[in-house]
Amino acid sequence: MNQTNKNIISTSGLIKTYRRYKKPEGIRGSIASLFHREYEEKTAVNRIDLTVQAGEFVGLIGPNGAGKTTLIKMLTGIIAPTAGAIDVLGYYPNDLKNAFKKQYAVVMGQKSQLFFELTVNDTLRLFKEIYEISEDVFQENKNYFVHLFGVADLMDVQVRTLSLGERMKMELIVALLHNPAILFLDEPTIGLDAIASRQIRSFLREINEQKGTTIILTSHYVEDIKTLCRRMVVVNHGVKIYDGATDELFERYQKNKRIIVAFDSPAGTMALKTGSAKLVVDETYKKEYEVPRQNASGLLAELMGHEPKDITIEEEEIGIVVERIYQEGGGDCHA
Amino acid sequence: MRKYWEISKTYMKAQLVWRADVIFNMIFTISKILFAYLLWGTVFQDKEMVGTFTFHGMLSYYVVSSFLSQLEMSEGISSEIHDRLRNGTFSKYLVIPAGIERYFMAMELGVVLFYLIFDFAAAAVWVFVFRIRFVFAGEWQVIACALVMTVLGMVFMVQLNYFLGILTLRFEGIGTFLMIKNNLVSLVTGSIVPLALFPEFVVSILRLLPFYYVTYLPAMLLTGKCGEEAVRGIVIIGCWCVLMQLVIRAAWKKYFTAYDGAGI
Repeated sequence: MNQTNKNIISTSGLIKTYRRYKKPEGIRGSIASLFHREYEEKTAVNRIDLTVQAGEFVGLIGPNGAGKTTLIKMLTGIIAPTAGAIDVLGYYPNDLKNAFKKQYAVVMGQKSQLFFELTVNDTLRLFKEIYEISEDVFQENKNYFVHLFGVADLMDVQVRTLSLGERMKMELIVALLHNPAILFLDEPTIGLDAIASRQIRSFLREINEQKGTTIILTSHYVEDIKTLCRRMVVVNHGVKIYDGATDELFERYQKNKRIIVAFDSPAGTMALKTGSAKLVVDETYKKEYEVPRQNASGLLAELMGHEPKDITIEEEEIGIVVERIYQEGGGDCHA
Repeated sequence: MRKYWEISKTYMKAQLVWRADVIFNMIFTISKILFAYLLWGTVFQDKEMVGTFTFHGMLSYYVVSSFLSQLEMSEGISSEIHDRLRNGTFSKYLVIPAGIERYFMAMELGVVLFYLIFDFAAAAVWVFVFRIRFVFAGEWQVIACALVMTVLGMVFMVQLNYFLGILTLRFEGIGTFLMIKNNLVSLVTGSIVPLALFPEFVVSILRLLPFYYVTYLPAMLLTGKCGEEAVRGIVIIGCWCVLMQLVIRAAWKKYFTAYDGAGI
Protein backbone atom coordinates (compact mmCIF):
# COMPACT_ATOMS: atom_id res chain seq x y z
CA MET A 1 0.00 0.00 0.00
CA ASN A 2 1.28 3.41 -0.94
CA GLN A 3 0.91 5.04 2.46
CA THR A 4 2.91 7.93 3.77
CA ASN A 5 2.58 9.81 7.04
CA LYS A 6 1.59 13.06 5.44
CA ASN A 7 -1.60 14.84 6.50
CA ILE A 8 -3.58 15.62 3.39
CA ILE A 9 -6.67 16.78 5.26
CA SER A 10 -6.48 19.01 8.26
CA THR A 11 -9.26 20.94 9.99
CA SER A 12 -9.18 22.85 13.22
CA GLY A 13 -12.18 24.25 15.09
CA LEU A 14 -14.29 23.84 11.96
CA ILE A 15 -17.79 25.27 12.30
CA LYS A 16 -20.72 25.47 9.91
CA THR A 17 -23.83 27.27 10.99
CA TYR A 18 -26.99 27.32 8.92
CA ARG A 19 -29.57 30.05 9.22
CA ARG A 20 -33.11 28.91 8.70
CA TYR A 21 -36.42 30.66 8.59
CA LYS A 22 -39.13 29.73 11.09
CA LYS A 23 -42.72 30.25 10.00
CA PRO A 24 -45.53 30.29 12.53
CA GLU A 25 -48.25 27.72 11.84
CA GLY A 26 -51.31 28.47 9.69
CA ILE A 27 -52.39 31.13 7.21
CA ARG A 28 -52.10 33.92 9.79
CA GLY A 29 -48.55 32.88 10.43
CA SER A 30 -47.87 32.92 6.71
CA ILE A 31 -49.27 36.44 6.34
CA ALA A 32 -47.39 37.64 9.43
CA SER A 33 -44.18 36.22 8.03
CA LEU A 34 -44.50 38.54 5.03
CA PHE A 35 -43.80 41.44 7.36
CA HIS A 36 -41.63 39.92 10.03
CA ARG A 37 -39.44 36.87 9.81
CA GLU A 38 -37.79 34.93 12.52
CA TYR A 39 -34.62 33.02 11.88
CA GLU A 40 -32.86 30.42 13.92
CA GLU A 41 -29.33 29.22 13.67
CA LYS A 42 -28.45 25.55 13.47
CA THR A 43 -24.88 24.46 14.01
CA ALA A 44 -24.39 21.55 11.63
CA VAL A 45 -20.69 21.13 12.34
CA ASN A 46 -19.28 22.26 15.66
CA ARG A 47 -15.55 22.74 16.25
CA ILE A 48 -14.36 19.66 14.46
CA ASP A 49 -10.62 18.95 14.50
CA LEU A 50 -9.66 16.30 12.00
CA THR A 51 -6.52 15.09 10.31
CA VAL A 52 -6.34 12.41 7.64
CA GLN A 53 -3.15 10.92 6.29
CA ALA A 54 -2.51 9.85 2.71
CA GLY A 55 -3.71 6.31 2.01
CA GLU A 56 -6.14 6.10 4.95
CA PHE A 57 -9.64 4.64 4.62
CA VAL A 58 -11.76 6.59 7.08
CA GLY A 59 -15.39 5.92 7.92
CA LEU A 60 -17.47 8.91 8.85
CA ILE A 61 -20.62 7.87 10.64
CA GLY A 62 -23.46 9.39 12.56
CA PRO A 63 -27.24 9.52 12.51
CA ASN A 64 -29.21 11.65 10.01
CA GLY A 65 -28.51 15.35 10.52
CA ALA A 66 -25.29 14.64 12.43
CA GLY A 67 -23.22 16.82 10.10
CA LYS A 68 -21.44 14.18 8.00
CA THR A 69 -22.53 15.49 4.60
CA THR A 70 -21.93 19.10 5.67
CA LEU A 71 -18.38 18.12 6.63
CA ILE A 72 -17.83 16.44 3.24
CA LYS A 73 -19.23 19.51 1.49
CA MET A 74 -16.75 21.74 3.31
CA LEU A 75 -13.84 19.40 2.57
CA THR A 76 -14.70 19.44 -1.13
CA GLY A 77 -15.30 23.20 -1.24
CA ILE A 78 -18.98 22.95 -2.10
CA ILE A 79 -19.78 25.16 0.88
CA ALA A 80 -17.69 27.56 2.93
CA PRO A 81 -17.13 27.03 6.65
CA THR A 82 -18.59 29.62 9.02
CA ALA A 83 -15.40 29.54 11.11
CA GLY A 84 -12.28 27.49 11.71
CA ALA A 85 -9.32 26.41 9.63
CA ILE A 86 -9.44 23.89 6.80
CA ASP A 87 -6.71 22.60 4.54
CA VAL A 88 -7.15 19.86 1.95
CA LEU A 89 -4.12 18.95 -0.16
CA GLY A 90 -2.68 22.38 0.62
CA TYR A 91 -5.76 24.30 -0.57
CA TYR A 92 -8.62 26.17 1.02
CA PRO A 93 -11.38 24.11 -0.63
CA ASN A 94 -14.00 26.84 -1.08
CA ASP A 95 -11.61 28.77 -3.35
CA LEU A 96 -12.65 26.09 -5.88
CA LYS A 97 -9.30 26.15 -7.67
CA ASN A 98 -9.18 23.83 -10.67
CA ALA A 99 -5.77 22.52 -9.55
CA PHE A 100 -7.41 21.41 -6.30
CA LYS A 101 -10.47 19.90 -7.97
CA LYS A 102 -8.25 17.77 -10.18
CA GLN A 103 -6.88 16.02 -7.09
CA TYR A 104 -10.06 14.74 -5.53
CA ALA A 105 -13.31 13.11 -6.54
CA VAL A 106 -16.64 12.97 -4.83
CA VAL A 107 -19.39 10.41 -5.31
CA MET A 108 -22.69 11.06 -3.64
CA GLY A 109 -25.08 8.12 -3.68
CA GLN A 110 -28.07 10.18 -4.66
CA LYS A 111 -26.38 12.62 -7.03
CA SER A 112 -25.05 11.72 -10.43
CA GLN A 113 -22.25 13.03 -12.64
CA LEU A 114 -23.40 10.91 -15.57
CA PHE A 115 -25.34 12.11 -18.60
CA PHE A 116 -28.43 9.94 -18.62
CA GLU A 117 -29.07 10.43 -22.35
CA LEU A 118 -25.55 9.40 -23.33
CA THR A 119 -23.47 6.28 -22.97
CA VAL A 120 -20.80 5.84 -20.31
CA ASN A 121 -18.11 5.98 -23.00
CA ASP A 122 -19.34 9.44 -24.04
CA THR A 123 -19.28 10.63 -20.43
CA LEU A 124 -15.78 9.23 -19.87
CA ARG A 125 -14.55 11.04 -22.98
CA LEU A 126 -15.98 14.29 -21.60
CA PHE A 127 -14.30 13.78 -18.23
CA LYS A 128 -11.00 12.94 -19.93
CA GLU A 129 -11.03 16.44 -21.42
CA ILE A 130 -12.37 18.19 -18.32
CA TYR A 131 -9.61 16.68 -16.16
CA GLU A 132 -7.04 17.08 -18.96
CA ILE A 133 -6.00 13.42 -18.80
CA SER A 134 -3.52 12.21 -21.42
CA GLU A 135 -4.78 9.59 -23.89
CA ASP A 136 -2.40 6.94 -22.47
CA VAL A 137 -3.47 7.44 -18.86
CA PHE A 138 -7.12 7.60 -19.95
CA GLN A 139 -6.95 4.29 -21.80
CA GLU A 140 -4.95 2.63 -19.03
CA ASN A 141 -7.34 3.73 -16.27
CA LYS A 142 -10.44 3.04 -18.29
CA ASN A 143 -9.29 -0.50 -19.07
CA TYR A 144 -8.28 -1.09 -15.46
CA PHE A 145 -11.63 0.00 -14.02
CA VAL A 146 -13.76 -1.57 -16.73
CA HIS A 147 -11.99 -4.87 -16.02
CA LEU A 148 -12.16 -4.42 -12.24
CA PHE A 149 -15.88 -3.59 -12.28
CA GLY A 150 -16.70 -6.11 -15.00
CA VAL A 151 -18.73 -3.65 -17.05
CA ALA A 152 -17.19 -3.98 -20.53
CA ASP A 153 -20.56 -4.84 -22.11
CA LEU A 154 -22.26 -1.77 -20.61
CA MET A 155 -19.98 0.95 -21.92
CA ASP A 156 -22.03 1.70 -25.04
CA VAL A 157 -25.42 1.51 -23.37
CA GLN A 158 -27.46 4.61 -22.54
CA VAL A 159 -26.94 5.44 -18.84
CA ARG A 160 -30.67 5.73 -18.16
CA THR A 161 -31.09 2.04 -18.94
CA LEU A 162 -28.58 0.90 -16.30
CA SER A 163 -29.63 -0.57 -12.98
CA LEU A 164 -28.83 1.34 -9.77
CA GLY A 165 -25.90 -0.96 -8.99
CA GLU A 166 -24.48 -0.67 -12.52
CA ARG A 167 -24.89 3.08 -12.42
CA MET A 168 -22.98 3.32 -9.15
CA LYS A 169 -20.11 1.37 -10.69
CA MET A 170 -20.07 3.86 -13.57
CA GLU A 171 -20.12 6.79 -11.13
CA LEU A 172 -17.04 5.32 -9.48
CA ILE A 173 -15.25 4.84 -12.81
CA VAL A 174 -15.96 8.46 -13.77
CA ALA A 175 -14.74 9.61 -10.35
CA LEU A 176 -11.55 7.55 -10.41
CA LEU A 177 -10.56 8.17 -14.01
CA HIS A 178 -8.14 11.00 -13.14
CA ASN A 179 -6.37 9.12 -10.29
CA PRO A 180 -7.64 11.35 -7.48
CA ALA A 181 -5.57 11.53 -4.31
CA ILE A 182 -8.76 11.62 -2.21
CA LEU A 183 -12.10 9.99 -2.90
CA PHE A 184 -15.06 11.26 -0.91
CA LEU A 185 -17.97 8.85 -0.84
CA ASP A 186 -21.31 9.86 0.59
CA GLU A 187 -23.59 6.84 1.01
CA PRO A 188 -22.33 4.98 -2.08
CA THR A 189 -24.32 1.83 -1.32
CA ILE A 190 -27.63 3.50 -0.56
CA GLY A 191 -30.48 1.63 -2.22
CA LEU A 192 -28.23 -1.16 -3.51
CA ASP A 193 -28.98 -4.82 -2.94
CA ALA A 194 -26.62 -7.04 -0.92
CA ILE A 195 -24.71 -8.35 -3.95
CA ALA A 196 -24.12 -4.93 -5.50
CA SER A 197 -23.11 -3.49 -2.10
CA ARG A 198 -20.61 -6.29 -1.60
CA GLN A 199 -19.14 -5.71 -5.07
CA ILE A 200 -18.80 -1.97 -4.47
CA ARG A 201 -17.09 -2.64 -1.12
CA SER A 202 -14.66 -5.02 -2.77
CA PHE A 203 -13.79 -2.45 -5.48
CA LEU A 204 -13.24 0.27 -2.92
CA ARG A 205 -10.91 -1.93 -0.90
CA GLU A 206 -8.89 -2.74 -3.99
CA ILE A 207 -8.65 0.90 -5.06
CA ASN A 208 -7.48 1.91 -1.59
CA GLU A 209 -4.93 -0.90 -1.40
CA GLN A 210 -3.67 -0.98 -4.99
CA LYS A 211 -3.81 2.70 -5.93
CA GLY A 212 -3.23 4.17 -2.46
CA THR A 213 -6.28 6.42 -2.84
CA THR A 214 -7.31 8.05 0.41
CA ILE A 215 -10.99 7.34 0.95
CA ILE A 216 -13.45 9.12 3.22
CA LEU A 217 -16.68 7.18 3.40
CA THR A 218 -19.99 8.06 5.00
CA SER A 219 -22.52 5.30 5.32
CA HIS A 220 -25.41 4.17 7.43
CA TYR A 221 -24.53 0.54 6.89
CA VAL A 222 -22.44 -1.16 9.57
CA GLU A 223 -21.22 -3.66 7.02
CA ASP A 224 -19.72 -0.93 4.80
CA ILE A 225 -17.81 0.62 7.65
CA LYS A 226 -16.76 -2.56 9.40
CA THR A 227 -15.36 -4.27 6.33
CA LEU A 228 -13.63 -1.26 4.80
CA CYS A 229 -12.50 1.34 7.28
CA ARG A 230 -9.62 0.88 9.65
CA ARG A 231 -10.42 4.20 11.24
CA MET A 232 -13.77 5.65 12.27
CA VAL A 233 -14.87 9.17 12.99
CA VAL A 234 -18.26 9.41 14.67
CA VAL A 235 -20.19 12.67 14.67
CA ASN A 236 -23.40 13.49 16.42
CA HIS A 237 -25.13 16.89 16.53
CA GLY A 238 -22.15 18.29 14.61
CA VAL A 239 -19.64 17.24 17.28
CA LYS A 240 -16.94 14.61 16.85
CA ILE A 241 -17.54 12.03 19.58
CA TYR A 242 -15.16 9.28 18.52
CA ASP A 243 -12.04 9.14 16.39
CA GLY A 244 -10.10 5.91 16.46
CA ALA A 245 -9.76 2.33 15.33
CA THR A 246 -12.89 0.70 13.92
CA ASP A 247 -12.23 -2.60 15.70
CA GLU A 248 -11.94 -0.85 19.01
CA LEU A 249 -15.14 1.09 18.46
CA PHE A 250 -17.18 -2.02 17.77
CA GLU A 251 -15.44 -3.88 20.59
CA ARG A 252 -16.28 -1.15 23.05
CA TYR A 253 -19.66 0.05 21.92
CA GLN A 254 -21.38 -2.64 19.87
CA LYS A 255 -22.53 -4.67 22.83
CA ASN A 256 -25.43 -6.70 21.52
CA LYS A 257 -26.36 -8.95 18.63
CA ARG A 258 -29.79 -9.56 17.24
CA ILE A 259 -30.70 -13.16 16.47
CA ILE A 260 -33.72 -13.76 14.24
CA VAL A 261 -35.19 -17.27 14.18
CA ALA A 262 -37.83 -18.46 11.73
CA PHE A 263 -39.89 -21.65 12.14
CA ASP A 264 -41.91 -23.86 9.80
CA SER A 265 -44.63 -24.49 12.35
CA PRO A 266 -46.16 -22.17 14.96
CA ALA A 267 -43.72 -21.64 17.81
CA GLY A 268 -44.91 -20.87 21.31
CA THR A 269 -42.98 -19.00 23.95
CA MET A 270 -39.66 -20.73 24.55
CA ALA A 271 -38.11 -21.03 27.96
CA LEU A 272 -34.47 -20.18 27.38
CA LYS A 273 -31.53 -20.78 29.69
CA THR A 274 -29.58 -17.84 28.27
CA GLY A 275 -31.13 -15.44 30.76
CA SER A 276 -29.70 -12.20 29.33
CA ALA A 277 -31.47 -12.73 25.97
CA LYS A 278 -34.35 -10.33 25.45
CA LEU A 279 -37.27 -11.28 23.21
CA VAL A 280 -37.94 -8.17 21.10
CA VAL A 281 -40.22 -9.57 18.37
CA ASP A 282 -42.66 -12.37 19.17
CA GLU A 283 -44.61 -13.66 16.18
CA THR A 284 -46.11 -17.07 15.48
CA TYR A 285 -43.41 -18.11 13.00
CA LYS A 286 -40.64 -15.70 13.94
CA LYS A 287 -38.81 -14.63 17.11
CA GLU A 288 -36.17 -11.96 17.46
CA TYR A 289 -33.78 -11.86 20.40
CA GLU A 290 -31.34 -9.22 21.51
CA VAL A 291 -28.44 -10.72 23.37
CA PRO A 292 -25.07 -9.49 24.70
CA ARG A 293 -22.35 -10.45 22.23
CA GLN A 294 -20.55 -12.75 24.65
CA ASN A 295 -23.76 -14.77 25.14
CA ALA A 296 -24.69 -14.95 21.43
CA SER A 297 -23.07 -18.34 20.81
CA GLY A 298 -24.83 -19.86 23.86
CA LEU A 299 -28.21 -18.58 22.69
CA LEU A 300 -27.53 -19.77 19.16
CA ALA A 301 -26.74 -23.28 20.36
CA GLU A 302 -29.87 -23.30 22.45
CA LEU A 303 -32.07 -22.09 19.57
CA MET A 304 -30.71 -24.77 17.28
CA GLY A 305 -32.29 -27.31 19.58
CA HIS A 306 -35.74 -25.94 18.68
CA GLU A 307 -35.35 -27.00 15.02
CA PRO A 308 -35.61 -23.58 13.36
CA LYS A 309 -36.12 -23.15 9.61
CA ASP A 310 -33.66 -20.28 9.43
CA ILE A 311 -31.42 -18.24 11.75
CA THR A 312 -30.03 -14.77 10.98
CA ILE A 313 -27.52 -12.89 13.12
CA GLU A 314 -27.42 -9.13 12.80
CA GLU A 315 -25.11 -6.50 14.19
CA GLU A 316 -26.52 -3.56 16.11
CA GLU A 317 -27.46 -0.61 13.95
CA ILE A 318 -25.08 2.31 13.70
CA GLY A 319 -27.64 4.64 15.29
CA ILE A 320 -27.66 2.56 18.49
CA VAL A 321 -23.87 2.40 18.56
CA VAL A 322 -23.61 6.18 18.11
CA GLU A 323 -26.15 6.74 20.86
CA ARG A 324 -24.12 4.53 23.18
CA ILE A 325 -20.88 6.35 22.37
CA TYR A 326 -22.65 9.62 23.03
CA GLN A 327 -24.01 8.39 26.37
CA GLU A 328 -20.69 6.99 27.48
CA GLY A 329 -18.71 10.05 26.54
CA GLY A 330 -16.94 8.68 23.45
CA GLY A 331 -13.27 9.23 22.90
CA ASP A 332 -10.61 10.52 20.58
CA CYS A 333 -8.12 7.71 20.17
CA HIS A 334 -6.56 8.95 16.96
CA ALA A 335 -2.89 9.75 17.25
CA MET B 1 -10.29 25.23 -24.60
CA ARG B 2 -10.49 21.53 -25.51
CA LYS B 3 -12.49 20.72 -22.42
CA TYR B 4 -15.13 23.31 -23.34
CA TRP B 5 -15.29 22.08 -26.91
CA GLU B 6 -15.84 18.56 -25.56
CA ILE B 7 -18.66 19.91 -23.36
CA SER B 8 -20.23 21.47 -26.49
CA LYS B 9 -19.90 18.18 -28.35
CA THR B 10 -21.42 16.27 -25.45
CA TYR B 11 -24.51 18.49 -25.43
CA MET B 12 -24.72 18.28 -29.19
CA LYS B 13 -24.77 14.49 -28.86
CA ALA B 14 -27.39 14.74 -26.10
CA GLN B 15 -29.67 16.73 -28.45
CA LEU B 16 -29.51 13.99 -31.04
CA VAL B 17 -31.23 11.62 -28.66
CA TRP B 18 -34.49 13.59 -28.66
CA ARG B 19 -35.90 13.31 -32.18
CA ALA B 20 -39.30 14.76 -31.22
CA ASP B 21 -37.62 17.93 -29.89
CA VAL B 22 -35.90 18.45 -33.23
CA ILE B 23 -39.10 17.97 -35.20
CA PHE B 24 -41.17 20.25 -32.98
CA ASN B 25 -38.51 22.93 -33.06
CA MET B 26 -38.61 22.90 -36.86
CA ILE B 27 -42.40 22.96 -36.87
CA PHE B 28 -42.35 25.91 -34.49
CA THR B 29 -40.00 27.83 -36.79
CA ILE B 30 -42.25 27.00 -39.74
CA SER B 31 -45.45 27.94 -37.88
CA LYS B 32 -44.01 31.34 -36.98
CA ILE B 33 -43.21 32.06 -40.61
CA LEU B 34 -46.63 30.78 -41.70
CA PHE B 35 -48.30 33.00 -39.11
CA ALA B 36 -46.25 35.98 -40.31
CA TYR B 37 -47.13 35.20 -43.94
CA LEU B 38 -50.85 35.20 -43.19
CA LEU B 39 -50.73 38.25 -40.92
CA TRP B 40 -48.57 40.45 -43.13
CA GLY B 41 -50.31 39.19 -46.27
CA THR B 42 -53.54 40.68 -44.85
CA VAL B 43 -51.83 43.91 -43.75
CA PHE B 44 -50.15 44.37 -47.14
CA GLN B 45 -53.29 43.53 -49.13
CA ASP B 46 -54.05 47.20 -49.92
CA LYS B 47 -50.58 48.64 -49.33
CA GLU B 48 -47.20 48.55 -50.98
CA MET B 49 -45.29 49.61 -47.85
CA VAL B 50 -45.72 49.42 -44.07
CA GLY B 51 -43.19 51.69 -42.39
CA THR B 52 -40.05 51.11 -44.42
CA PHE B 53 -40.93 47.48 -45.22
CA THR B 54 -42.22 45.96 -48.43
CA PHE B 55 -44.13 42.68 -48.10
CA HIS B 56 -41.10 40.60 -49.06
CA GLY B 57 -38.80 42.76 -46.92
CA MET B 58 -41.08 42.10 -43.95
CA LEU B 59 -41.12 38.36 -44.58
CA SER B 60 -37.35 38.34 -45.00
CA TYR B 61 -37.09 40.07 -41.64
CA TYR B 62 -39.39 37.46 -40.15
CA VAL B 63 -37.47 34.52 -41.55
CA VAL B 64 -34.17 35.89 -40.22
CA SER B 65 -35.49 37.06 -36.83
CA SER B 66 -37.36 33.82 -36.15
CA PHE B 67 -34.24 31.91 -37.17
CA LEU B 68 -32.15 33.94 -34.71
CA SER B 69 -34.70 33.81 -31.91
CA GLN B 70 -34.99 30.03 -32.30
CA LEU B 71 -31.25 29.80 -31.81
CA GLU B 72 -31.41 31.80 -28.60
CA MET B 73 -31.96 28.91 -26.17
CA SER B 74 -30.20 30.16 -23.08
CA GLU B 75 -33.39 30.27 -21.03
CA GLY B 76 -32.73 26.70 -19.93
CA ILE B 77 -29.58 27.85 -18.11
CA SER B 78 -31.39 29.82 -15.41
CA SER B 79 -33.86 27.03 -14.77
CA GLU B 80 -31.06 24.42 -14.74
CA ILE B 81 -29.14 26.39 -12.10
CA HIS B 82 -32.29 27.16 -10.13
CA ASP B 83 -33.56 23.57 -10.15
CA ARG B 84 -30.20 22.08 -9.27
CA LEU B 85 -29.63 24.52 -6.42
CA ARG B 86 -33.11 23.78 -5.09
CA ASN B 87 -32.90 20.01 -5.36
CA GLY B 88 -29.34 19.82 -4.13
CA THR B 89 -27.49 18.68 -7.23
CA PHE B 90 -25.68 21.87 -8.24
CA SER B 91 -22.51 20.40 -6.72
CA LYS B 92 -22.18 18.50 -10.01
CA TYR B 93 -20.76 21.70 -11.51
CA LEU B 94 -18.83 22.84 -8.43
CA VAL B 95 -16.61 19.79 -8.09
CA ILE B 96 -15.29 19.51 -11.64
CA PRO B 97 -12.23 21.48 -12.78
CA ALA B 98 -14.05 23.71 -15.25
CA GLY B 99 -15.35 27.27 -14.96
CA ILE B 100 -19.08 27.01 -14.24
CA GLU B 101 -20.11 29.95 -16.41
CA ARG B 102 -17.87 28.74 -19.25
CA TYR B 103 -19.40 25.29 -18.85
CA PHE B 104 -22.83 26.80 -19.48
CA MET B 105 -21.50 28.83 -22.41
CA ALA B 106 -20.10 25.65 -23.95
CA MET B 107 -23.34 23.81 -23.23
CA GLU B 108 -25.29 26.56 -25.01
CA LEU B 109 -22.90 26.47 -27.96
CA GLY B 110 -23.42 22.72 -28.33
CA VAL B 111 -27.19 23.11 -28.35
CA VAL B 112 -27.08 26.10 -30.74
CA LEU B 113 -24.76 24.42 -33.23
CA PHE B 114 -27.08 21.45 -33.36
CA TYR B 115 -30.25 23.48 -33.93
CA LEU B 116 -28.47 25.82 -36.34
CA ILE B 117 -28.51 23.11 -38.99
CA PHE B 118 -32.19 22.26 -38.60
CA ASP B 119 -33.40 25.85 -38.22
CA PHE B 120 -31.42 26.88 -41.27
CA ALA B 121 -33.01 24.06 -43.27
CA ALA B 122 -36.50 25.04 -42.05
CA ALA B 123 -35.96 28.72 -42.95
CA ALA B 124 -34.58 27.83 -46.39
CA VAL B 125 -37.54 25.54 -47.15
CA TRP B 126 -40.01 28.28 -46.33
CA VAL B 127 -38.25 30.91 -48.38
CA PHE B 128 -38.59 28.46 -51.26
CA VAL B 129 -42.21 27.33 -50.53
CA PHE B 130 -43.60 30.88 -50.21
CA ARG B 131 -41.42 32.14 -53.04
CA ILE B 132 -40.23 34.93 -50.78
CA ARG B 133 -38.03 37.32 -52.76
CA PHE B 134 -35.47 37.33 -50.01
CA VAL B 135 -34.03 40.76 -49.26
CA PHE B 136 -30.45 40.41 -48.11
CA ALA B 137 -27.73 42.91 -47.13
CA GLY B 138 -25.37 43.74 -49.96
CA GLU B 139 -22.26 44.83 -48.07
CA TRP B 140 -20.02 42.18 -46.50
CA GLN B 141 -19.00 44.57 -43.70
CA VAL B 142 -22.63 44.84 -42.60
CA ILE B 143 -23.05 41.06 -42.74
CA ALA B 144 -19.88 40.61 -40.68
CA CYS B 145 -21.12 43.13 -38.11
CA ALA B 146 -24.48 41.33 -37.95
CA LEU B 147 -22.79 37.99 -37.31
CA VAL B 148 -20.50 39.43 -34.60
CA MET B 149 -23.51 41.12 -33.03
CA THR B 150 -25.47 37.87 -33.09
CA VAL B 151 -22.68 36.07 -31.25
CA LEU B 152 -22.34 38.89 -28.69
CA GLY B 153 -26.11 38.97 -28.26
CA MET B 154 -26.18 35.27 -27.52
CA VAL B 155 -23.27 35.60 -25.11
CA PHE B 156 -25.19 38.35 -23.35
CA MET B 157 -28.31 36.21 -23.09
CA VAL B 158 -26.27 33.33 -21.62
CA GLN B 159 -24.77 35.77 -19.12
CA LEU B 160 -28.18 37.17 -18.23
CA ASN B 161 -29.71 33.75 -17.70
CA TYR B 162 -26.67 32.60 -15.75
CA PHE B 163 -26.95 35.68 -13.55
CA LEU B 164 -30.67 35.08 -12.96
CA GLY B 165 -29.88 31.45 -12.15
CA ILE B 166 -27.31 32.31 -9.49
CA LEU B 167 -29.77 34.74 -7.91
CA THR B 168 -31.28 31.53 -6.50
CA LEU B 169 -28.38 31.62 -4.04
CA ARG B 170 -29.96 34.75 -2.60
CA PHE B 171 -33.68 34.58 -3.36
CA GLU B 172 -34.42 30.83 -3.47
CA GLY B 173 -37.16 31.39 -6.07
CA ILE B 174 -36.47 33.31 -9.28
CA GLY B 175 -39.79 32.77 -11.10
CA THR B 176 -40.73 36.47 -10.97
CA PHE B 177 -37.37 37.55 -12.38
CA LEU B 178 -37.70 35.06 -15.22
CA MET B 179 -41.24 36.18 -16.02
CA ILE B 180 -40.18 39.84 -16.21
CA LYS B 181 -37.16 38.93 -18.34
CA ASN B 182 -39.22 36.78 -20.71
CA ASN B 183 -41.86 39.46 -21.25
CA LEU B 184 -39.23 42.11 -21.77
CA VAL B 185 -37.22 39.95 -24.13
CA SER B 186 -40.16 38.89 -26.30
CA LEU B 187 -41.19 42.51 -26.77
CA VAL B 188 -37.82 44.23 -26.98
CA THR B 189 -36.01 41.72 -29.18
CA GLY B 190 -38.46 42.52 -31.95
CA SER B 191 -39.41 38.90 -32.42
CA ILE B 192 -43.13 39.78 -32.25
CA VAL B 193 -43.23 43.12 -34.07
CA PRO B 194 -40.32 44.88 -35.83
CA LEU B 195 -39.19 47.67 -33.54
CA ALA B 196 -39.02 50.02 -36.53
CA LEU B 197 -42.82 50.22 -36.32
CA PHE B 198 -42.59 51.79 -32.85
CA PRO B 199 -42.36 55.59 -32.42
CA GLU B 200 -38.83 56.94 -32.78
CA PHE B 201 -38.48 57.99 -29.12
CA VAL B 202 -39.35 54.42 -28.00
CA VAL B 203 -36.80 52.96 -30.40
CA SER B 204 -34.14 55.40 -29.17
CA ILE B 205 -34.71 54.13 -25.61
CA LEU B 206 -34.62 50.51 -26.79
CA ARG B 207 -31.29 51.17 -28.50
CA LEU B 208 -29.73 51.58 -25.09
CA LEU B 209 -30.90 48.14 -23.99
CA PRO B 210 -28.99 44.98 -24.88
CA PHE B 211 -32.07 43.11 -26.14
CA TYR B 212 -32.26 45.42 -29.17
CA TYR B 213 -29.03 43.81 -30.38
CA VAL B 214 -29.94 40.19 -29.71
CA THR B 215 -32.35 39.49 -32.54
CA TYR B 216 -33.75 42.70 -33.91
CA LEU B 217 -30.72 44.63 -35.14
CA PRO B 218 -28.85 41.60 -36.53
CA ALA B 219 -32.05 40.66 -38.42
CA MET B 220 -32.41 44.20 -39.75
CA LEU B 221 -28.75 44.32 -40.78
CA LEU B 222 -28.96 40.99 -42.55
CA THR B 223 -32.03 42.18 -44.48
CA GLY B 224 -30.27 45.31 -45.61
CA LYS B 225 -31.56 47.89 -43.14
CA CYS B 226 -30.06 50.07 -40.36
CA GLY B 227 -26.51 49.65 -41.73
CA GLU B 228 -25.47 52.90 -40.02
CA GLU B 229 -26.12 51.31 -36.61
CA ALA B 230 -23.85 48.30 -37.18
CA VAL B 231 -20.60 49.44 -35.53
CA ARG B 232 -22.33 51.35 -32.74
CA GLY B 233 -24.42 48.26 -32.06
CA ILE B 234 -21.36 46.06 -31.60
CA VAL B 235 -19.87 48.58 -29.18
CA ILE B 236 -23.08 48.81 -27.13
CA ILE B 237 -23.74 45.06 -26.88
CA GLY B 238 -20.01 44.54 -26.16
CA CYS B 239 -20.25 47.02 -23.27
CA TRP B 240 -23.34 45.21 -21.96
CA CYS B 241 -21.43 41.89 -22.02
CA VAL B 242 -18.56 43.40 -20.02
CA LEU B 243 -20.96 45.01 -17.56
CA MET B 244 -22.93 41.79 -17.12
CA GLN B 245 -19.70 39.87 -16.49
CA LEU B 246 -18.78 42.28 -13.70
CA VAL B 247 -22.25 41.91 -12.19
CA ILE B 248 -21.98 38.10 -12.34
CA ARG B 249 -18.60 38.13 -10.61
CA ALA B 250 -19.85 40.43 -7.87
CA ALA B 251 -23.04 38.40 -7.35
CA TRP B 252 -21.16 35.08 -7.26
CA LYS B 253 -18.62 36.41 -4.80
CA LYS B 254 -21.27 37.85 -2.55
CA TYR B 255 -23.86 35.08 -2.62
CA PHE B 256 -21.91 31.87 -3.10
CA THR B 257 -19.70 32.13 -0.02
CA ALA B 258 -22.65 33.29 2.08
CA TYR B 259 -24.94 30.55 0.83
CA ASP B 260 -25.86 28.07 3.52
CA GLY B 261 -25.51 25.28 1.05
CA ALA B 262 -28.24 23.09 2.48
CA GLY B 263 -29.49 22.69 -1.05
CA ILE B 264 -26.24 22.38 -2.98
